[in-house]
Amino acid sequence: MNDYVLQAEDVAIHYGGVMALDGVSLTLARGQIRGLIGPNGAGKSTVIDAITGRRRLTRGSVHLGGQDVTTLGVVERRARGLSRSFQRTSIFGQMRVRRQVELAAHSMNPQGCVADAEAVLQELELLPRADDVAEDLGYGEQRRLDLALALVGRPTVLLLDEPMAGLSVKESLDLARHLKALTQRWNVSVLLVEHDMDVVFGISDAVTVFELGRVIASGEPAAVRADPRVREAYLGSAA
Amino acid sequence: MTIFRIGLGAACALAVGGAVAALVGSGTVLSLLTQAVVYAVFASGVGLLLKQNGMVSFGHALYFGVSGYAMGIALELGWMPAELAVVATLAAVAVSAFVVGLVIVRVPGVAFSMMTLAIGQMFYLTASRSRGLTGGADGMNVNWPATLFGVPQSLLHQPAVLFLVCWCAMVLVVLGLGLLLRGRFGSVTEAVRDNEERARFIGVRTLLPRAAIYALSATIAALAGMLSVLNTGFISPEALHWSVSGVALMMVVVGGYKALWGPPLGAIVYFLFKDVLGDWASHWMAIFGVALITVIVFSPTGLAGALQRLRRGRPAASAPATRPASAH
Amino acid sequence: MLTINLFNGLVYGALLIVMCSGLALIYGLRRVVNFAHGSLYMLGAYLGYSIALQSNFWVALVAAPAVMALFGVLLDRYGFRLLQDRDPLTVVLVTFGLLLVIEDFVQTVWGKSNLTVDAPAALARSVDFFGTPLPAYRIGVIVVGALVALGLTAWLRGSKAGLFVRAASTDPTTTAMQGVNTDALSAGVVGLGTALAGLAGVVAAPFLSLSPAMSSDVIIDSFVVVVVGGLGSLAGAFIAAMVLGMVQALGAVYLPALSAVLPFVIMVAVLIWKPAGFAGSRT
Repeated sequence: MNDYVLQAEDVAIHYGGVMALDGVSLTLARGQIRGLIGPNGAGKSTVIDAITGRRRLTRGSVHLGGQDVTTLGVVERRARGLSRSFQRTSIFGQMRVRRQVELAAHSMNPQGCVADAEAVLQELELLPRADDVAEDLGYGEQRRLDLALALVGRPTVLLLDEPMAGLSVKESLDLARHLKALTQRWNVSVLLVEHDMDVVFGISDAVTVFELGRVIASGEPAAVRADPRVREAYLGSAA
Repeated sequence: MTIFRIGLGAACALAVGGAVAALVGSGTVLSLLTQAVVYAVFASGVGLLLKQNGMVSFGHALYFGVSGYAMGIALELGWMPAELAVVATLAAVAVSAFVVGLVIVRVPGVAFSMMTLAIGQMFYLTASRSRGLTGGADGMNVNWPATLFGVPQSLLHQPAVLFLVCWCAMVLVVLGLGLLLRGRFGSVTEAVRDNEERARFIGVRTLLPRAAIYALSATIAALAGMLSVLNTGFISPEALHWSVSGVALMMVVVGGYKALWGPPLGAIVYFLFKDVLGDWASHWMAIFGVALITVIVFSPTGLAGALQRLRRGRPAASAPATRPASAH
Repeated sequence: MLTINLFNGLVYGALLIVMCSGLALIYGLRRVVNFAHGSLYMLGAYLGYSIALQSNFWVALVAAPAVMALFGVLLDRYGFRLLQDRDPLTVVLVTFGLLLVIEDFVQTVWGKSNLTVDAPAALARSVDFFGTPLPAYRIGVIVVGALVALGLTAWLRGSKAGLFVRAASTDPTTTAMQGVNTDALSAGVVGLGTALAGLAGVVAAPFLSLSPAMSSDVIIDSFVVVVVGGLGSLAGAFIAAMVLGMVQALGAVYLPALSAVLPFVIMVAVLIWKPAGFAGSRT
């Protein structure tokens, strides 16, 4: 028995001749923030799909808190504390903000969903818009709503798929700092897919690097940054 | 909307109905209004499916007509007392529509609409061609007994009383839906309608709620069918024709699909058009067709939406949040 | 006896080919399921009737579809094009509104009673086919169906415009970006689609009488064909049309109760199994 809140072992996804993931293994410890980086098409989003159960695995297993969830669907995994946000904002356009966040909270914590919703709306500065219809929100507010839907109810494991997409440099750093503080306070373990290197190396406790559906490096941020294979594959002069 | 405001609205509506029943002397006018109210209930059912599921059904006349036929047959064969037949029919529609819903709500977009059209027409053709008990294309009489739920026929069939019964049914339906949809069931179905995938990711099971809404909308349509045969004492295959569903859809769209009182408003407007247009009455279909197109283009949330916007001074409306077709 | 029934199946199948290719084309390019297609068919038939009264059937055969083509171009330019960013179901409801207007127009101009159109004199006889006399006019209908099927296939595969249509059906954005005038193309294709509906109407008139109910009668069968054949696929529609024609003709004689219901059952089954139909959504 191990202590990992999330463990993916030898995960592979093959379909129609394409090998999206080829034997990926990664772990997430309690309270840890692990960054996932890699070039476009390296398989980062696919790994999130695999872990959440959106895509079926050709091979491998996923464990949540020591329990095998490989055969479980998206809804069941959510019930066990696994939550994700989306790269392309995915919210409920015609519902009011508070109403949809409360609904999201309900599956995690039926008794306290109203309070949970209020808490997360406050943290993400969405209270002023709580009674508005989602499609009337600005882009940044909608991104935060997408996050709120994932964060509400304090999931055990949170998968963030490019949460900074479309935000300015300042907004990204603010959000990153805020997320780090919040997830530590709420004891949420995070898997963070991001392109913004400053954000990833700024807040992650560990970093995993992908290329062509495989993990090519994994470890502490400084070590990964210095790894010659990683520099060659991905970072180039941006490091 | 708070429960208080909903309750107040319902009470006012009931009062209006009572006033109309008491003050309108003409039996013909009351009869016309009763027809309008029956269709208001029917349109509410069709509208519920569009509002909560984002689905357009061209086949709800099936449930409208089948309940009439079920009553006709049950009363003819004398299997059970009329009161039981009423309850049993509605229950049977609810259950079978739920089962049907489990299968058909998985079909997205326009494909769903085409399918409902096909299913409805299938029943229409079957009813038209089957002779024997149901009378085939000629239809059959629905012979209500001397008393229904303790109320004697002589009283029940007075125009004012019949109108009031139908009006109360309509108010209760809208009230019931208003209360039901405020809560979690409403949230769940709206979320599934707006973004089915994300709904799963926030822990919502998507099939059962949609099937439940479908079943509920079918049951409301069946209730309308019941009221219709109470009003006319007659049922024919015409009640199953897809144009009947189409008319209900028109009422929903013109009246406004977002507000629960929109479809009933549409029904009343439809009957007003039909009756009041005088010389142009023979063209009311075309006029309503133009009205439908105009509403869709300029005010997708219908008359109800326009009235609400006038009250709040808000610009632009949004089109129905229907589920996207998969064949792209 | 069997020969006659098979023959009638071919005839109705041919009619459905002409009718449904229009529906499939419009869907393929504009992603609109045209609920008014049946009433366009009816309008074509009634126009053909009036034109034939003034001159003769052959003129009507050309003129009515031409008028319908013009109507189609206007419908696309002022209807489908303006609504192209809206939800598909919204546009469907608009076509339903259009259906009501056309039905009322037809009833107003031509009245509610059934009208008959005589087959042209040249075809008002029988041709002997291995001992069975077959009406020459109906053979003509099969010929028309075959010509439409072959003509459309050749046009789509062989011509530049056809290539653009296939491209635009698959990916309208990229096609527009390649410099193809997709608006003009759409107007043309929708015009062609409505013309085909009108042609089907004119052709059907001599052997199915004209009545205000004729649009309802045919629209369901058209939907079944287009769905089973694959929304947007012409080849699929052709095959499905012939199959449905056969099923209707043979079923009406041998299994009347079942045959009325069978097309719907097939359509429902196909939609549940594969919402995009058999052949998918490529023209």
